[in-house]
Amino acid sequence: MQTFGILILSGLTNGSVYALVGLSLAMTYGASRVINFAQGEFVMLGALSTVLFVTTFSLPMVVGIPMVLIVCATVGFLVERLAYRPLVRRGSQPLTIMIGTLACASIMTGTALLIWGPNQLFVPNAFSLEGVTIAGITSTPQQLAIIATFAFLMALIWFMLYRTTFGLTIRAVGIDPAVATLMGIRAETIIAFSFVFSAIVGGLTGGLVGPLLGGHVSMGIMLTIKGFMAVILGGMGSPFAAAAGGIAIGLLEATVAFYGNSFYAEPIIFGLILMMLIIRPTGLLGEWEANRK
Amino acid sequence: MLRIEGLKSGYGKSEVLHGVSMSINAGQVVTIIGANGAGKSTLVNTLSKLLPIMSGRIEFDGRDITALSASDVVDLGIIQVPEGRKLFGPLTVDENLTLGSYRVRHAPKAELTDRRKFVLDLFPRLAERATQRAATLSGGEQQMVALGRALMAGPRLLLLDELTLGLAPIVIDEMFETLERLKREGLTMLLVEQRADAALALADHAYVMATGDVVAEGPAPDLRNDERVRKAYLGESDITSD
Repeated sequence: MQTFGILILSGLTNGSVYALVGLSLAMTYGASRVINFAQGEFVMLGALSTVLFVTTFSLPMVVGIPMVLIVCATVGFLVERLAYRPLVRRGSQPLTIMIGTLACASIMTGTALLIWGPNQLFVPNAFSLEGVTIAGITSTPQQLAIIATFAFLMALIWFMLYRTTFGLTIRAVGIDPAVATLMGIRAETIIAFSFVFSAIVGGLTGGLVGPLLGGHVSMGIMLTIKGFMAVILGGMGSPFAAAAGGIAIGLLEATVAFYGNSFYAEPIIFGLILMMLIIRPTGLLGEWEANRK
Repeated sequence: MLRIEGLKSGYGKSEVLHGVSMSINAGQVVTIIGANGAGKSTLVNTLSKLLPIMSGRIEFDGRDITALSASDVVDLGIIQVPEGRKLFGPLTVDENLTLGSYRVRHAPKAELTDRRKFVLDLFPRLAERATQRAATLSGGEQQMVALGRALMAGPRLLLLDELTLGLAPIVIDEMFETLERLKREGLTMLLVEQRADAALALADHAYVMATGDVVAEGPAPDLRNDERVRKAYLGESDITSD
Protein backbone atom coordinates (compact mmCIF):
# COMPACT_ATOMS: atom_id res chain seq x y z
CA MET A 1 0.00 0.00 0.00
CA GLN A 2 2.84 2.31 0.91
CA THR A 3 4.68 1.41 -2.27
CA PHE A 4 1.54 2.21 -4.18
CA GLY A 5 1.31 5.59 -2.49
CA ILE A 6 4.92 6.45 -3.32
CA LEU A 7 4.34 5.40 -6.92
CA ILE A 8 1.26 7.56 -7.20
CA LEU A 9 3.01 10.55 -5.65
CA SER A 10 6.07 10.41 -7.89
CA GLY A 11 3.83 9.77 -10.91
CA LEU A 12 1.66 12.71 -9.97
CA THR A 13 4.66 15.01 -9.59
CA ASN A 14 6.14 14.21 -12.99
CA GLY A 15 2.66 13.95 -14.44
CA SER A 16 1.83 17.44 -13.17
CA VAL A 17 4.88 18.82 -14.98
CA TYR A 18 3.88 17.10 -18.23
CA ALA A 19 0.30 18.14 -17.66
CA LEU A 20 1.32 21.78 -17.17
CA VAL A 21 3.23 21.70 -20.46
CA GLY A 22 0.33 19.87 -22.12
CA LEU A 23 -2.16 22.33 -20.66
CA SER A 24 -0.27 25.30 -22.06
CA LEU A 25 0.26 23.60 -25.43
CA ALA A 26 -3.48 22.93 -25.61
CA MET A 27 -4.24 26.47 -24.56
CA THR A 28 -2.20 27.92 -27.45
CA TYR A 29 -3.56 25.28 -29.79
CA GLY A 30 -7.09 26.07 -28.70
CA ALA A 31 -6.81 29.66 -29.91
CA SER A 32 -4.31 29.38 -32.76
CA ARG A 33 -4.62 25.76 -34.01
CA VAL A 34 -0.85 25.50 -33.88
CA ILE A 35 1.35 23.42 -31.57
CA ASN A 36 3.94 25.78 -30.12
CA PHE A 37 7.10 23.68 -30.20
CA ALA A 38 8.87 26.31 -28.12
CA GLN A 39 6.60 25.59 -25.13
CA GLY A 40 9.14 23.39 -23.29
CA GLU A 41 11.74 26.14 -23.73
CA PHE A 42 9.66 28.39 -21.50
CA VAL A 43 10.09 25.83 -18.73
CA MET A 44 13.85 25.96 -19.37
CA LEU A 45 13.73 29.76 -19.41
CA GLY A 46 11.73 29.74 -16.17
CA ALA A 47 14.22 27.46 -14.42
CA LEU A 48 17.33 29.29 -15.65
CA SER A 49 16.06 32.82 -15.10
CA THR A 50 15.21 31.74 -11.55
CA VAL A 51 18.93 31.00 -11.26
CA LEU A 52 19.68 34.42 -12.75
CA PHE A 53 17.39 36.47 -10.51
CA VAL A 54 17.56 34.50 -7.26
CA THR A 55 21.12 33.10 -7.27
CA THR A 56 23.10 35.53 -9.45
CA PHE A 57 21.28 38.76 -8.50
CA SER A 58 20.44 37.48 -4.98
CA LEU A 59 16.87 38.73 -5.19
CA PRO A 60 14.42 37.24 -2.70
CA MET A 61 12.10 34.57 -4.12
CA VAL A 62 9.00 36.78 -3.94
CA VAL A 63 10.68 39.31 -6.24
CA GLY A 64 12.60 36.79 -8.33
CA ILE A 65 9.63 34.66 -9.41
CA PRO A 66 7.55 37.61 -10.68
CA MET A 67 10.64 38.75 -12.62
CA VAL A 68 10.91 35.25 -14.11
CA LEU A 69 7.27 35.40 -15.18
CA ILE A 70 7.77 38.83 -16.77
CA VAL A 71 10.74 37.53 -18.76
CA CYS A 72 8.74 34.52 -19.96
CA ALA A 73 5.69 36.65 -20.82
CA THR A 74 7.91 38.98 -22.86
CA VAL A 75 9.54 36.13 -24.77
CA GLY A 76 6.12 34.52 -25.33
CA PHE A 77 4.86 37.82 -26.72
CA LEU A 78 7.89 38.00 -29.05
CA VAL A 79 7.33 34.44 -30.32
CA GLU A 80 3.76 35.37 -31.29
CA ARG A 81 4.69 38.75 -32.74
CA LEU A 82 7.84 37.77 -34.62
CA ALA A 83 7.06 34.21 -35.70
CA TYR A 84 3.37 33.31 -35.48
CA ARG A 85 1.71 36.53 -36.64
CA PRO A 86 3.92 37.32 -39.68
CA LEU A 87 3.50 33.74 -40.90
CA VAL A 88 -0.28 33.78 -40.44
CA ARG A 89 -0.57 37.10 -42.23
CA ARG A 90 1.30 35.62 -45.17
CA GLY A 91 -1.23 32.81 -45.23
CA SER A 92 1.18 30.07 -44.14
CA GLN A 93 -0.06 26.55 -43.47
CA PRO A 94 -0.17 25.41 -39.81
CA LEU A 95 2.73 23.06 -40.50
CA THR A 96 4.91 25.95 -41.67
CA ILE A 97 3.98 27.94 -38.58
CA MET A 98 4.87 25.00 -36.35
CA ILE A 99 8.30 24.86 -37.99
CA GLY A 100 8.50 28.57 -37.15
CA THR A 101 7.89 27.80 -33.46
CA LEU A 102 10.53 25.08 -33.68
CA ALA A 103 12.93 27.74 -34.97
CA CYS A 104 12.01 29.86 -31.95
CA ALA A 105 12.78 26.89 -29.68
CA SER A 106 16.19 26.55 -31.26
CA ILE A 107 16.90 30.29 -30.97
CA MET A 108 15.87 30.22 -27.31
CA THR A 109 18.12 27.25 -26.56
CA GLY A 110 21.03 28.90 -28.37
CA THR A 111 20.58 32.19 -26.55
CA ALA A 112 20.29 30.39 -23.21
CA LEU A 113 23.53 28.55 -23.97
CA LEU A 114 25.28 31.91 -24.46
CA ILE A 115 23.90 33.23 -21.18
CA TRP A 116 24.05 30.22 -18.87
CA GLY A 117 26.56 27.89 -20.53
CA PRO A 118 26.30 24.13 -21.04
CA ASN A 119 26.47 22.97 -17.41
CA GLN A 120 23.61 21.82 -15.26
CA LEU A 121 22.82 24.54 -12.73
CA PHE A 122 21.33 24.30 -9.28
CA VAL A 123 17.98 26.06 -9.30
CA PRO A 124 17.06 27.65 -5.94
CA ASN A 125 13.92 26.26 -4.40
CA ALA A 126 10.96 28.34 -3.30
CA PHE A 127 9.68 25.60 -1.01
CA SER A 128 11.54 23.24 1.25
CA LEU A 129 13.19 20.17 -0.24
CA GLU A 130 13.20 18.38 3.09
CA GLY A 131 11.00 15.34 3.33
CA VAL A 132 7.76 15.45 5.23
CA THR A 133 6.00 12.21 5.97
CA ILE A 134 2.24 12.06 5.77
CA ALA A 135 0.51 8.72 6.33
CA GLY A 136 3.76 6.86 5.78
CA ILE A 137 4.51 8.51 2.46
CA THR A 138 7.44 10.88 2.28
CA SER A 139 7.24 13.92 0.06
CA THR A 140 8.70 17.41 -0.13
CA PRO A 141 6.83 20.72 -0.03
CA GLN A 142 8.43 21.58 -3.41
CA GLN A 143 6.93 18.41 -4.89
CA LEU A 144 3.54 19.14 -3.39
CA ALA A 145 3.72 22.71 -4.67
CA ILE A 146 4.03 21.41 -8.23
CA ILE A 147 0.95 19.24 -7.86
CA ALA A 148 -0.96 22.06 -6.19
CA THR A 149 0.05 24.56 -8.89
CA PHE A 150 -1.14 22.17 -11.56
CA ALA A 151 -4.48 21.64 -9.81
CA PHE A 152 -4.91 25.37 -9.30
CA LEU A 153 -4.05 26.31 -12.90
CA MET A 154 -6.34 23.64 -14.28
CA ALA A 155 -9.23 24.99 -12.23
CA LEU A 156 -8.34 28.53 -13.25
CA ILE A 157 -8.22 27.66 -16.96
CA TRP A 158 -11.45 25.71 -16.72
CA PHE A 159 -13.16 28.68 -15.11
CA MET A 160 -11.72 31.11 -17.64
CA LEU A 161 -12.64 29.03 -20.71
CA TYR A 162 -16.08 27.81 -19.68
CA ARG A 163 -17.41 30.40 -17.27
CA THR A 164 -16.34 33.75 -18.70
CA THR A 165 -17.18 35.65 -21.88
CA PHE A 166 -13.47 36.11 -22.44
CA GLY A 167 -13.02 32.33 -22.43
CA LEU A 168 -15.87 31.97 -24.89
CA THR A 169 -14.09 34.37 -27.25
CA ILE A 170 -10.91 32.26 -26.98
CA ARG A 171 -12.87 29.16 -27.98
CA ALA A 172 -14.57 31.06 -30.80
CA VAL A 173 -11.24 32.27 -32.18
CA GLY A 174 -9.98 28.68 -32.13
CA ILE A 175 -12.98 27.48 -34.11
CA ASP A 176 -12.86 30.22 -36.74
CA PRO A 177 -10.79 33.41 -36.34
CA ALA A 178 -12.38 35.13 -39.36
CA VAL A 179 -15.92 34.63 -38.09
CA ALA A 180 -14.82 35.66 -34.59
CA THR A 181 -13.64 38.91 -36.19
CA LEU A 182 -17.15 39.37 -37.62
CA MET A 183 -18.37 39.41 -33.99
CA GLY A 184 -15.96 42.27 -33.30
CA ILE A 185 -13.49 40.01 -31.47
CA ARG A 186 -9.84 41.01 -31.94
CA ALA A 187 -8.69 37.51 -32.92
CA GLU A 188 -5.00 38.43 -33.11
CA THR A 189 -5.06 39.86 -29.60
CA ILE A 190 -6.74 36.73 -28.26
CA ILE A 191 -4.09 34.55 -29.91
CA ALA A 192 -1.32 36.76 -28.54
CA PHE A 193 -2.87 36.35 -25.09
CA SER A 194 -2.82 32.55 -25.44
CA PHE A 195 0.90 32.64 -26.28
CA VAL A 196 1.74 34.95 -23.39
CA PHE A 197 -0.43 33.04 -20.93
CA SER A 198 1.18 29.73 -21.93
CA ALA A 199 4.64 31.27 -21.63
CA ILE A 200 3.83 32.37 -18.08
CA VAL A 201 2.56 28.89 -17.20
CA GLY A 202 5.80 27.52 -18.70
CA GLY A 203 7.92 29.91 -16.64
CA LEU A 204 6.11 29.03 -13.43
CA THR A 205 6.54 25.33 -14.19
CA GLY A 206 10.26 25.92 -14.74
CA GLY A 207 10.67 27.76 -11.46
CA LEU A 208 8.94 24.93 -9.61
CA VAL A 209 10.45 21.90 -11.30
CA GLY A 210 13.95 23.37 -11.68
CA PRO A 211 15.06 22.49 -8.13
CA LEU A 212 14.03 18.86 -8.72
CA LEU A 213 15.37 18.37 -12.26
CA GLY A 214 18.25 20.82 -12.21
CA GLY A 215 18.45 23.67 -14.73
CA HIS A 216 19.90 22.87 -18.12
CA VAL A 217 19.68 24.67 -21.48
CA SER A 218 18.55 21.52 -23.27
CA MET A 219 15.83 20.51 -20.79
CA GLY A 220 13.11 22.18 -22.89
CA ILE A 221 12.85 19.83 -25.82
CA MET A 222 12.27 16.76 -23.62
CA LEU A 223 9.41 18.60 -21.91
CA THR A 224 7.94 19.76 -25.23
CA ILE A 225 7.90 16.14 -26.39
CA LYS A 226 6.31 14.90 -23.16
CA GLY A 227 3.76 17.71 -23.24
CA PHE A 228 3.00 17.01 -26.88
CA MET A 229 2.57 13.32 -26.02
CA ALA A 230 0.17 14.37 -23.27
CA VAL A 231 -1.85 16.42 -25.77
CA ILE A 232 -1.96 13.58 -28.30
CA LEU A 233 -2.79 10.97 -25.65
CA GLY A 234 -5.52 13.04 -24.03
CA GLY A 235 -6.96 14.44 -27.22
CA MET A 236 -6.58 17.73 -29.05
CA GLY A 237 -8.77 20.71 -28.45
CA SER A 238 -9.34 20.58 -24.72
CA PRO A 239 -6.72 21.64 -22.16
CA PHE A 240 -8.21 19.15 -19.70
CA ALA A 241 -7.76 16.22 -22.03
CA ALA A 242 -4.11 17.27 -22.36
CA ALA A 243 -3.81 17.54 -18.59
CA ALA A 244 -5.30 14.07 -18.15
CA GLY A 245 -2.85 12.79 -20.76
CA GLY A 246 0.05 14.34 -18.82
CA ILE A 247 -0.99 12.76 -15.54
CA ALA A 248 -1.46 9.40 -17.28
CA ILE A 249 2.05 9.57 -18.74
CA GLY A 250 3.51 10.51 -15.35
CA LEU A 251 1.80 7.61 -13.58
CA LEU A 252 2.71 5.17 -16.34
CA GLU A 253 6.32 6.28 -16.24
CA ALA A 254 6.52 5.85 -12.47
CA THR A 255 4.97 2.40 -12.66
CA VAL A 256 7.22 1.17 -15.44
CA ALA A 257 10.28 2.65 -13.70
CA PHE A 258 9.36 0.97 -10.42
CA TYR A 259 8.61 -2.50 -11.72
CA GLY A 260 11.26 -2.54 -14.41
CA ASN A 261 13.87 -0.02 -15.28
CA SER A 262 13.45 3.68 -15.96
CA PHE A 263 15.56 2.99 -19.02
CA TYR A 264 12.63 1.10 -20.58
CA ALA A 265 10.01 3.56 -19.45
CA GLU A 266 10.04 5.76 -22.51
CA PRO A 267 9.87 3.12 -25.26
CA ILE A 268 7.15 1.30 -23.34
CA ILE A 269 5.10 4.48 -22.93
CA PHE A 270 5.50 5.39 -26.58
CA GLY A 271 4.40 1.86 -27.48
CA LEU A 272 1.34 2.09 -25.26
CA ILE A 273 0.39 5.48 -26.68
CA LEU A 274 0.76 4.12 -30.19
CA MET A 275 -1.55 1.22 -29.35
CA MET A 276 -4.05 3.55 -27.73
CA LEU A 277 -4.09 5.84 -30.75
CA ILE A 278 -4.73 2.90 -33.08
CA ILE A 279 -7.82 2.10 -31.00
CA ARG A 280 -8.88 5.72 -30.39
CA PRO A 281 -7.33 7.98 -33.04
CA THR A 282 -8.74 11.15 -31.46
CA GLY A 283 -7.09 10.51 -28.08
CA LEU A 284 -8.52 9.28 -24.77
CA LEU A 285 -11.07 12.05 -24.40
CA GLY A 286 -11.49 12.84 -28.09
CA GLU A 287 -11.68 16.11 -29.93
CA TRP A 288 -14.08 18.21 -27.97
CA GLU A 289 -14.02 21.36 -29.96
CA ALA A 290 -11.13 20.79 -32.26
CA ASN A 291 -13.09 20.57 -35.49
CA ARG A 292 -12.94 23.71 -37.45
CA LYS A 293 -16.23 24.23 -39.19
CA MET B 1 -25.78 56.43 -43.60
CA LEU B 2 -23.35 54.47 -45.78
CA ARG B 3 -21.61 55.93 -48.82
CA ILE B 4 -19.28 53.97 -51.04
CA GLU B 5 -17.24 55.77 -53.69
CA GLY B 6 -15.16 54.17 -56.43
CA LEU B 7 -14.48 51.09 -54.37
CA LYS B 8 -11.90 48.69 -55.79
CA SER B 9 -11.07 45.47 -54.03
CA GLY B 10 -10.44 41.80 -54.59
CA TYR B 11 -8.45 38.77 -53.56
CA GLY B 12 -4.67 39.06 -53.52
CA LYS B 13 -3.67 40.92 -56.67
CA SER B 14 -6.78 40.15 -58.70
CA GLU B 15 -9.28 42.98 -58.71
CA VAL B 16 -12.92 41.91 -58.45
CA LEU B 17 -14.67 45.22 -57.78
CA HIS B 18 -13.76 47.83 -60.37
CA GLY B 19 -14.89 51.03 -58.71
CA VAL B 20 -18.29 50.48 -57.12
CA SER B 21 -20.29 53.44 -55.82
CA MET B 22 -23.53 53.22 -53.87
CA SER B 23 -25.27 54.65 -50.85
CA ILE B 24 -27.70 53.50 -48.20
CA ASN B 25 -29.87 55.83 -46.15
CA ALA B 26 -30.84 55.16 -42.56
CA GLY B 27 -33.89 52.92 -42.30
CA GLN B 28 -33.61 51.87 -45.91
CA VAL B 29 -33.48 48.32 -47.23
CA VAL B 30 -31.18 48.11 -50.22
CA THR B 31 -30.68 44.99 -52.28
CA ILE B 32 -27.92 44.02 -54.66
CA ILE B 33 -28.86 41.59 -57.36
CA GLY B 34 -26.65 40.06 -59.99
CA ALA B 35 -25.40 36.79 -61.39
CA ASN B 36 -22.84 34.58 -59.67
CA GLY B 37 -19.43 36.19 -59.84
CA ALA B 38 -20.82 39.72 -60.12
CA GLY B 39 -18.91 40.71 -56.98
CA LYS B 40 -21.84 40.94 -54.56
CA SER B 41 -20.24 38.89 -51.81
CA THR B 42 -16.90 40.56 -52.46
CA LEU B 43 -18.58 43.90 -51.82
CA VAL B 44 -20.13 42.71 -48.56
CA ASN B 45 -16.83 41.25 -47.36
CA THR B 46 -15.02 44.45 -48.33
CA LEU B 47 -17.52 46.46 -46.29
CA SER B 48 -16.83 44.13 -43.35
CA LYS B 49 -13.10 44.68 -44.00
CA LEU B 50 -12.37 41.02 -44.49
CA LEU B 51 -10.87 41.95 -47.87
CA PRO B 52 -8.33 44.72 -48.47
CA ILE B 53 -9.44 47.92 -50.19
CA MET B 54 -7.30 48.77 -53.23
CA SER B 55 -8.76 52.21 -53.75
CA GLY B 56 -11.92 54.16 -53.10
CA ARG B 57 -13.64 55.34 -49.98
CA ILE B 58 -16.26 54.13 -47.51
CA GLU B 59 -18.14 56.59 -45.31
CA PHE B 60 -20.40 55.65 -42.42
CA ASP B 61 -22.43 58.39 -40.71
CA GLY B 62 -20.26 60.94 -42.51
CA ARG B 63 -17.08 59.41 -41.09
CA ASP B 64 -14.35 57.94 -43.30
CA ILE B 65 -14.05 54.29 -42.29
CA THR B 66 -11.90 53.14 -45.23
CA ALA B 67 -8.86 52.44 -43.05
CA LEU B 68 -10.63 50.76 -40.12
CA SER B 69 -10.14 47.08 -39.23
CA ALA B 70 -12.80 44.38 -39.36
CA SER B 71 -13.46 44.52 -35.63
CA ASP B 72 -13.56 48.36 -35.67
CA VAL B 73 -16.31 48.20 -38.29
CA VAL B 74 -18.29 45.83 -36.07
CA ASP B 75 -17.84 48.26 -33.17
CA LEU B 76 -19.57 50.90 -35.30
CA GLY B 77 -22.54 48.58 -35.76
CA ILE B 78 -21.98 47.25 -39.27
CA ILE B 79 -22.83 43.61 -38.73
CA GLN B 80 -22.64 40.86 -41.32
CA VAL B 81 -24.61 37.65 -41.61
CA PRO B 82 -22.08 35.73 -43.69
CA GLU B 83 -22.85 33.49 -46.61
CA GLY B 84 -23.04 29.85 -45.54
CA ARG B 85 -24.03 30.93 -42.01
CA LYS B 86 -20.56 30.33 -40.52
CA LEU B 87 -21.76 29.41 -37.06
CA PHE B 88 -19.43 28.29 -34.30
CA GLY B 89 -20.53 24.70 -34.87
CA PRO B 90 -19.10 23.05 -31.74
CA LEU B 91 -20.59 25.74 -29.50
CA THR B 92 -24.20 25.80 -28.32
CA VAL B 93 -26.93 28.02 -29.77
CA ASP B 94 -26.81 30.04 -26.57
CA GLU B 95 -23.04 30.54 -26.81
CA ASN B 96 -23.37 31.57 -30.45
CA LEU B 97 -25.89 34.23 -29.47
CA THR B 98 -23.65 35.42 -26.63
CA LEU B 99 -20.77 35.79 -29.07
CA GLY B 100 -23.06 37.82 -31.30
CA SER B 101 -23.55 40.30 -28.46
CA TYR B 102 -19.78 40.74 -28.01
CA ARG B 103 -20.02 44.27 -29.47
CA VAL B 104 -22.43 45.34 -26.73
CA ARG B 105 -20.89 43.22 -23.93
CA HIS B 106 -20.46 46.28 -21.71
CA ALA B 107 -24.08 47.33 -22.11
CA PRO B 108 -26.39 47.08 -19.09
CA LYS B 109 -27.51 43.53 -18.37
CA ALA B 110 -31.16 44.47 -18.86
CA GLU B 111 -30.43 45.61 -22.41
CA LEU B 112 -28.73 42.30 -23.22
CA THR B 113 -31.64 40.37 -21.74
CA ASP B 114 -34.09 42.42 -23.82
CA ARG B 115 -32.09 41.78 -26.95
CA ARG B 116 -32.01 38.04 -26.33
CA LYS B 117 -35.74 38.10 -25.64
CA PHE B 118 -36.30 39.92 -28.93
CA VAL B 119 -34.28 37.32 -30.86
CA LEU B 120 -35.96 34.37 -29.14
CA ASP B 121 -39.32 35.97 -29.78
CA LEU B 122 -38.39 36.28 -33.45
CA PHE B 123 -37.23 32.66 -33.56
CA PRO B 124 -38.98 30.73 -30.75
CA ARG B 125 -37.37 27.52 -31.96
CA LEU B 126 -33.96 28.78 -30.82
CA ALA B 127 -35.15 28.82 -27.22
CA GLU B 128 -35.88 25.10 -27.47
CA ARG B 129 -32.48 24.47 -29.00
CA ALA B 130 -30.52 26.76 -26.63
CA THR B 131 -28.18 24.12 -25.23
CA GLN B 132 -27.70 22.19 -28.48
CA ARG B 133 -24.52 22.48 -30.47
CA ALA B 134 -25.12 24.72 -33.48
CA ALA B 135 -23.69 22.15 -35.89
CA THR B 136 -26.43 19.67 -35.01
CA LEU B 137 -29.28 21.96 -36.12
CA SER B 138 -31.11 21.85 -39.45
CA GLY B 139 -30.16 24.32 -42.18
CA GLY B 140 -33.13 26.57 -41.47
CA GLU B 141 -32.47 26.58 -37.74
CA GLN B 142 -28.81 27.34 -38.35
CA GLN B 143 -29.81 30.33 -40.47
CA MET B 144 -32.00 31.52 -37.59
CA VAL B 145 -28.97 31.32 -35.29
CA ALA B 146 -26.87 33.25 -37.83
CA LEU B 147 -29.46 36.02 -38.14
CA GLY B 148 -30.18 35.95 -34.41
CA ARG B 149 -26.47 36.18 -33.62
CA ALA B 150 -26.15 39.27 -35.82
CA LEU B 151 -29.20 40.87 -34.21
CA MET B 152 -27.68 40.29 -30.76
CA ALA B 153 -25.01 42.83 -31.72
CA GLY B 154 -27.62 45.56 -32.02
CA PRO B 155 -26.75 46.29 -35.67
CA ARG B 156 -27.09 49.76 -37.12
CA LEU B 157 -26.50 48.39 -40.60
CA LEU B 158 -27.13 44.71 -41.25
CA LEU B 159 -25.32 43.09 -44.18
CA LEU B 160 -27.07 39.94 -45.33
CA ASP B 161 -25.09 37.75 -47.70
CA GLU B 162 -27.20 35.07 -49.42
CA LEU B 163 -29.42 34.49 -46.42
CA THR B 164 -31.65 31.94 -48.15
CA LEU B 165 -29.03 29.97 -50.04
CA GLY B 166 -29.69 26.24 -49.79
CA LEU B 167 -32.85 26.56 -47.68
CA ALA B 168 -36.21 24.89 -48.28
CA PRO B 169 -38.84 27.14 -49.96
CA ILE B 170 -41.03 27.27 -46.86
CA VAL B 171 -38.05 28.33 -44.72
CA ILE B 172 -37.16 30.99 -47.29
CA ASP B 173 -40.67 32.44 -46.96
CA GLU B 174 -40.28 32.49 -43.17
CA MET B 175 -36.93 34.26 -43.50
CA PHE B 176 -38.41 36.96 -45.72
CA GLU B 177 -41.29 37.42 -43.27
CA THR B 178 -38.71 37.97 -40.55
CA LEU B 179 -36.84 40.50 -42.71
CA GLU B 180 -40.15 42.27 -43.39
CA ARG B 181 -40.65 42.55 -39.64
CA LEU B 182 -37.13 43.89 -39.11
CA LYS B 183 -37.74 46.45 -41.85
CA ARG B 184 -40.88 47.62 -40.06
CA GLU B 185 -38.78 48.02 -36.92
CA GLY B 186 -36.64 50.45 -38.89
CA LEU B 187 -33.49 48.34 -39.31
CA THR B 188 -31.20 49.43 -42.13
CA MET B 189 -30.25 46.47 -44.28
CA LEU B 190 -28.10 45.64 -47.29
CA LEU B 191 -29.42 42.46 -48.81
CA VAL B 192 -27.43 40.34 -51.22
CA GLU B 193 -29.83 37.75 -52.50
CA GLN B 194 -30.15 35.25 -55.29
CA ARG B 195 -33.93 35.32 -54.88
CA ALA B 196 -34.12 38.60 -56.73
CA ASP B 197 -37.93 38.64 -56.90
CA ALA B 198 -38.42 38.45 -53.15
CA ALA B 199 -35.49 40.78 -52.50
CA LEU B 200 -36.90 43.45 -54.84
CA ALA B 201 -40.31 43.10 -53.23
CA LEU B 202 -38.80 43.80 -49.82
CA ALA B 203 -36.26 46.48 -50.75
CA ASP B 204 -36.67 50.24 -51.16
CA HIS B 205 -33.75 50.63 -53.49
CA ALA B 206 -31.77 48.22 -55.63
CA TYR B 207 -28.46 47.94 -57.43
CA VAL B 208 -27.73 45.53 -60.25
CA MET B 209 -24.14 44.31 -60.40
CA ALA B 210 -22.30 42.55 -63.21
CA THR B 211 -18.61 41.56 -63.30
CA GLY B 212 -17.57 43.90 -60.53
CA ASP B 213 -19.48 46.99 -61.61
CA VAL B 214 -22.85 48.53 -60.82
CA VAL B 215 -24.73 48.38 -64.13
CA ALA B 216 -28.13 49.66 -63.03
CA GLU B 217 -29.79 51.15 -59.99
CA GLY B 218 -33.08 52.64 -58.95
CA PRO B 219 -36.06 52.28 -56.67
CA ALA B 220 -36.76 48.59 -56.19
CA PRO B 221 -40.31 48.66 -57.70
CA ASP B 222 -38.94 50.33 -60.87
CA LEU B 223 -36.23 47.73 -61.30
CA ARG B 224 -38.74 45.00 -60.65
CA ASN B 225 -40.73 46.22 -63.66
CA ASP B 226 -37.66 46.87 -65.78
CA GLU B 227 -37.74 44.68 -68.87
CA ARG B 228 -33.99 43.93 -68.90
CA VAL B 229 -33.86 43.11 -65.19
CA ARG B 230 -36.85 40.80 -65.53
CA LYS B 231 -35.24 39.00 -68.40
CA ALA B 232 -31.83 38.65 -66.81
CA TYR B 233 -32.58 38.02 -63.15
CA LEU B 234 -36.24 37.15 -62.69
CA GLY B 235 -37.47 33.90 -64.18
CA GLU B 236 -41.12 33.94 -65.28
CA SER B 237 -42.09 31.41 -62.61
CA ASP B 238 -40.53 33.58 -59.92
CA ILE B 239 -42.65 36.57 -60.87
CA THR B 240 -45.92 34.67 -61.00
CA SER B 241 -45.27 32.96 -57.68
CA ASP B 242 -44.83 36.30 -55.98
